[in-house]
Amino acid sequence: MKRPPRTVVLAAALISGVAVAALILCTTLFLRSYRSAVVEGARTNSAQVVSQVAGAVDNYVNTMDSAVGIVLEQLDSEPAMRDAFLNAFLTARPEVAAITTYDESGSLLDCWAQAGRTPKSDILRNLSFDLTTARRLGHGYISTPHVESIFDSYYPWVVSVIRAVPGDGGSSRWLAVDLSFKELAATINNVSIGQHGYCYLMDERGNMVYHPQQQLLYAGLKKEEAGRLACLGDGTYVEDTVIYSVQRVPGSTWRVVGVSYIDETVNESFRQMVRITVITAGLVFLAALVAGWVLSRLLSRPLQQLETAMEQFEQDADHFAFQAVRGTREVQNLSDSFGHMVGRIQQLMTTVREEEIVLRKTELKALQAQINPHFLYNTLDSIAWMCERGKNADAVQMVHALARLFRISISRGHELIPIEKELQHAEAYLQIQKYRYKNQFTYHFTVDESCLHCLCNKITLQPIIENAIVHGLDLMVDSGHIEITVKPDGNDILLIVADDGIGMEPEQVAALLQNEPSDRTGIGVKNVNDRLRIYFGADYGISIESAPYEGTTVTIRTPRVPEDREGDYDKNH
Amino acid sequence: MTKTIKRLLPAALAVLLAGCAMQPVDSTTTRYRVAFIAKNNRDSEFWDAVFTGAEAAATEYNLQLTITAPDDEEDYAAQNQLIADAVEDGAQAIVFSAIDYEANAAAIDAAAAAGVTVISVDSAVNSDNVAAYIGADNYGAGRMVAQSVLDGMEGALCVGLINYEVNGANGRDREQGARDAFAESGRARITAAVSTHPNAASARADTLAMLRTHPEINVLIALNETTAVGAAQAVQQMQRADDLWLAAFDSNIETIDALQTGTVDTLIVQNTYGMGYFGVESAYKLLAGQGSSVEKSNITATRTITRENMFAMDKQKALFPFG
Repeated sequence: MKRPPRTVVLAAALISGVAVAALILCTTLFLRSYRSAVVEGARTNSAQVVSQVAGAVDNYVNTMDSAVGIVLEQLDSEPAMRDAFLNAFLTARPEVAAITTYDESGSLLDCWAQAGRTPKSDILRNLSFDLTTARRLGHGYISTPHVESIFDSYYPWVVSVIRAVPGDGGSSRWLAVDLSFKELAATINNVSIGQHGYCYLMDERGNMVYHPQQQLLYAGLKKEEAGRLACLGDGTYVEDTVIYSVQRVPGSTWRVVGVSYIDETVNESFRQMVRITVITAGLVFLAALVAGWVLSRLLSRPLQQLETAMEQFEQDADHFAFQAVRGTREVQNLSDSFGHMVGRIQQLMTTVREEEIVLRKTELKALQAQINPHFLYNTLDSIAWMCERGKNADAVQMVHALARLFRISISRGHELIPIEKELQHAEAYLQIQKYRYKNQFTYHFTVDESCLHCLCNKITLQPIIENAIVHGLDLMVDSGHIEITVKPDGNDILLIVADDGIGMEPEQVAALLQNEPSDRTGIGVKNVNDRLRIYFGADYGISIESAPYEGTTVTIRTPRVPEDREGDYDKNH
Repeated sequence: MTKTIKRLLPAALAVLLAGCAMQPVDSTTTRYRVAFIAKNNRDSEFWDAVFTGAEAAATEYNLQLTITAPDDEEDYAAQNQLIADAVEDGAQAIVFSAIDYEANAAAIDAAAAAGVTVISVDSAVNSDNVAAYIGADNYGAGRMVAQSVLDGMEGALCVGLINYEVNGANGRDREQGARDAFAESGRARITAAVSTHPNAASARADTLAMLRTHPEINVLIALNETTAVGAAQAVQQMQRADDLWLAAFDSNIETIDALQTGTVDTLIVQNTYGMGYFGVESAYKLLAGQGSSVEKSNITATRTITRENMFAMDKQKALFPFG
């Protein structure tokens, strides 16, 4: 199974995710509003510039009108005065290239020009006056920009204003005033909208009047959508990446068109924003990593410590000592709860173990109190048989032995009794059995005097001796011998029961220490062993050495307990 | 604490973004330096128009443009010095019109080696390091001028050629184009050819000498602006305007006057504005990394102008640049 990821990783991912999402959201919203603001700005800018250019063109047209008005007033004055006035007028108004008059057939009548220029005698084609147009429109017209073509070596770009001169005597004449277009062209050339934007001038039908890049237009290297724009009213139009701003020049058929590109202004900013966004995203990611690290310090590490503590507790609940984990409030609560739980579990375990011991002791006491009924019947049968045969002395001895056996068994309820008493109990039992088994065995006590007044569990020797008689000696043909030894061993005392019976196989030895006794056999070797361990710990108990046909030696190890220390061990009574 | 961070994060980001956005977009960092090195900067309407185009492009693309040229249109050494100066001055691109197809090559190679982008306009230079060429098809223009004569005159033609700067690629190609077209016609013969210095006085003297030596010449071809002016003066002086067809290159006030009086019969006009404009525009595109949109060779259009069509609106605009 795949393990779930660590909290640190999750936290970093979560924070990064939230941060990046927030960043993208902010950036998107910001860029959208930014873009629309920039487009709006570009529109406004375009409209303003076009409006200014329209103003300049209007100004130019007004200048033309006023010039024509002044000239018209003077045209029919006395010739000398008229010439003087017009020459002065030309000096004062250098933007007027030429003033010409034409008769009704379109022939050049008079010409006044700057600085004494005179028209060529043979004019190839006069672009300043077009009779057909003049006749068609009647009162006059304004030409599109053209080259002044009536002088030698002087070809300025001009716009001609043609007016019908109120005739004297029915004959109609025409006046043409040529105004230099250079200033206006320079104005239009210098207009820039955004980085690459520009302005141009068209007439109402979309014919180009003036474009800063006429050469490119005529070379077919550049296209303008003047024809389409001519159909639109005044205003600003945003089309894809281009902003067109169209405005009519007041009092004229000309219209100013401003062309600018959204790309340059907006996309430049957009790229900048994207760059900033990427850098910010990087910074946020770093910040998220730091935040994740902090979170791991705050949350994940204490949790790991708790996890480790739990594992330790799981492995060894008895000896586990819990140390509180420091961290945030939640972690501390968790740690405190775990601490409480550990304490409670350990307490419960102790209680359970103690209760188990008490139960076991109670059980063992009940067993001790029991007297094997077969033993009692057999013994009483033996006594009765002795009485019948008149062996009164033997009978008395048997009865005494039986009485001693029971007295010591009961021992006023004490679990621990002096070794001396235990030995008396064992001897009483041996005496009874010796009668019953008709002296098939002998026995002998070897006792170290210093041990006699120490305490030991009662009825410790009897089950061992019973085992020696029943399993070791009973089946023998020859008489056997039981040697009982009591001796100190350091701080312990050893009670050794050795017989020279048929001995046991190792399996039998193991079974003896593990199996509960059957009904017939009173307390049993296993219970003696268990009792010693419950009272004194695992260091004490029974060890059995046995070899088939050689005999068995059972060694009981018990601590040296002086008589006055009984209470230390028998506290449960 | 974590909650607070999360709550504050979007706000902090918004502030950060707004702060960054308020920085003005710095456009001066991308302002490229371009040097335009022409052949001649005095009394040439041809170059005036080229410079007008170049400046228009520089304004449009926000470039820092410097225009220089030697005083003498034959002084390729001075032009080489101008190239070195431009490189020294930190130009990132040089828009260059070579006086000498061979003699300017080493200086251009050196500039290219210094990392400068080189664009050739009008007349080419013998270097592999030129990123783009913008100019007329000079051979084609030569054929064009011959064709205008063949269209305008009947019968046998005795042609006099007035060329300039024999080492320049333009004059050589134009002359070759004219010679080929005349040869193909079968009724024209190159009677005389002269290579003159690129000023009107020399051209006039050489033309007069040619016409006196070869009075049978009934067609004159002047292969650039200054030779055209000189040739027109010579024709006028010899009073041969009516029986001699003068076809010339480039427009000039004098030749335009002469076109109206009939001294000059055909003018081959190049898109001078376009050369300047596209030269500088190509420089910008190459510097700005839009090199894929720049063609290696960009041929600008040439037009034939005659007395009849010179005042048509499109020809007016080609002949008489604003400014």
